[in-house]
Amino acid sequence: MSSATVHTIIDDLGALLLFTMILIVAASQIYRAIYAVAAQSLFIAIAGGVLATATGNVDLWVIAGITLAVKAMVLPWVLHRVVQRMNVRREVEPVIPIAATLALTVVIVVVSFQLSASLGPVRQAITGNALPVGIALTLTGVLVMATRKTALTQMVGLFASENGIFFTAMAVTQGMPLIIEIGVILDVILAALVMTIMVLRVRSTVDADIADLDRLRG
Amino acid sequence: MAETLLWVLPLVPTVTALLMLTTRDRRILSAIDVGGSAVLLALTLVLAREVATGGPRAFGVLRVDDLGLVFLLLLVVLTLAVSIYTVGWLKQALAVGNMKAELLRSYFSLVHAFVATMVVTILADNLGVLWIAMEGTTITSAVLIGYHGHHHGLEAAWKYIIVTTIGISFGLFGTVLIYAAAAAAGLQGGAGALSWSAIMKVAPTLDSGIVRIGFVFVMVGYGTKAGLAPMHLWLPDAHSQAPTPVSALLSGVLIKCALLGIIRFQTIAGAACGRAFPEQVLLVFGLTSVVVATPFILAQHDIKRLLGYHSVEHVGIVALGLGFGGRIGTYAALLHVVNHGITKALAFFAAGKAIARYGSRDMRVIRGLLTVAPVGATLLMLAALSLAGVPPFSIFVSELMVLRAGIGQGHWVAIAIFLAMVVIIFAGLLHHAGSMAFGQPTAAATREPESWSPLLGMMLLAAIMILLGLTIPAPLDGLLRRAMEIVVG
Repeated sequence: MSSATVHTIIDDLGALLLFTMILIVAASQIYRAIYAVAAQSLFIAIAGGVLATATGNVDLWVIAGITLAVKAMVLPWVLHRVVQRMNVRREVEPVIPIAATLALTVVIVVVSFQLSASLGPVRQAITGNALPVGIALTLTGVLVMATRKTALTQMVGLFASENGIFFTAMAVTQGMPLIIEIGVILDVILAALVMTIMVLRVRSTVDADIADLDRLRG
Repeated sequence: MAETLLWVLPLVPTVTALLMLTTRDRRILSAIDVGGSAVLLALTLVLAREVATGGPRAFGVLRVDDLGLVFLLLLVVLTLAVSIYTVGWLKQALAVGNMKAELLRSYFSLVHAFVATMVVTILADNLGVLWIAMEGTTITSAVLIGYHGHHHGLEAAWKYIIVTTIGISFGLFGTVLIYAAAAAAGLQGGAGALSWSAIMKVAPTLDSGIVRIGFVFVMVGYGTKAGLAPMHLWLPDAHSQAPTPVSALLSGVLIKCALLGIIRFQTIAGAACGRAFPEQVLLVFGLTSVVVATPFILAQHDIKRLLGYHSVEHVGIVALGLGFGGRIGTYAALLHVVNHGITKALAFFAAGKAIARYGSRDMRVIRGLLTVAPVGATLLMLAALSLAGVPPFSIFVSELMVLRAGIGQGHWVAIAIFLAMVVIIFAGLLHHAGSMAFGQPTAAATREPESWSPLLGMMLLAAIMILLGLTIPAPLDGLLRRAMEIVVG
């Protein structure tokens, strides 16, 4: 593959990633958000595959494979199971209206591209538009975590945020060291596990949803 | 020898944690706890000697230099104090039902796993490993914060894990950007391109634009974990709801580990885009923290929340010291890390004993402590006086040096705000502490004698605190100076 083709493919995947991110922000039901984040992880895995073919970096295949298995399949499946098991009565519960979060998302995307456009040498270090897309995904993921009350939606925001970082990390021309990437994924899995346990524990010990925990003030 | 110690050191708490899983007996668990911490302290002292004579050592992704040693020594001393304190604290917590006997071994294991992740954080040379270990501290300590299992504890734990995980993902992004800059500057060798010592060698050639953005991301990311305002939202909740020994570790060491991460990136950013930029960022965050913490300290009724907000203030002071920069400012910041770690752990210990005695964390209920528990009350007063910045205690010394650094650099506005806040907090804290120690004890107070092990743990810390206020021993002074040289360059 020529480097121009790779740039185009990465940019197209970046557009798809932003589209799935908007789906996550706009989702009024938790299921849709989970499906959207699974699709997003799938695109990340494809991006990993494309970059692996282009650069001949075997490590990237491993990372793409792990991303596909863990973030596109296992974690969404776990979230799905938890939703079923808890028989979720509440859905997304935004703190501010979804339309407002969408507007903020647009602002974030524009700012991310503006910010990266001011950086010349980054062009050589990171393929295509992976940097602005990565920044936009990370910030929007944080936005989702901050503006949703229910635990599962916050976790979806976390995964989306991590996806953004992974996308940029993959596109750094050398690729991140494999051992570090694996460590990071392991941490994400553990964090998701602990969060899931906590959600279930809150339900079983104090009979409340995470969204009801608002007593600590001042 | 030193190279071997580097990888043995994180293993010690790991093995301790695993050993804990083999028994349920409280006495044996406590013995392993104290023993493991003592071994960790002894090995660290050996390592410190080796480094003092032979300079920094590296082993794979781990590396120890004088800067890391400052934090490592603080960690191991506090771990030992926490272990000693826990012996008596646990007996009491079991008696009133705060802890459940069948869950004890997982509690102890988690504490040591938490210590192990912090050791790796401090020893990490590879910035990726630094991040992984930092997230590891979040995972282990989140479970500990919610350990009591009641409504407030779980809320604090959830808030902690969500806020710090958000924060730390910014840290990872910043790390990726610095890595991209290093890769663009031609640093080869896979994992080597993420190594702090390797990056420092090429730091002046890094692209300053990327490093700037990367540093801001890291500052927000690790700043969240350090409890700098306005990312401190998790801190008062977590510090107040965690079991007391865990509060001491969180406040004494964990937030300092995050500061070490920030300092590592500060040196890279300083070399790549001039010292002024990272210093300015640190100055802003530091000043914000001091200002934001003040009203909450004054209006607080919950003693552990008070100490939590106080940590926000002191992390802010460390950031101010780094922000003022120069040799004095950096030295003062590092000294303050040690002083605040020791003093705050002591304060949490004393507060924990007072809470147990009165069955309440409300400072309006805790009255006349001096009458019912003279030794504990004296230690609480000592800690409060030191935290407020009264001479001759250690925090006074480091605060004065931070001030001196600020004056030397001519940051008059920052100095004025800082001084005003410190004076207000001084008054507020002494008011709180005085009303707890003196007066007529409320009926709720138990008058049972004070148990020896918490007092021993506290006296160990109080001795160090008083010593550091009177004089800085030559070995420590040398260590701090060499560490300062690493930061200033």
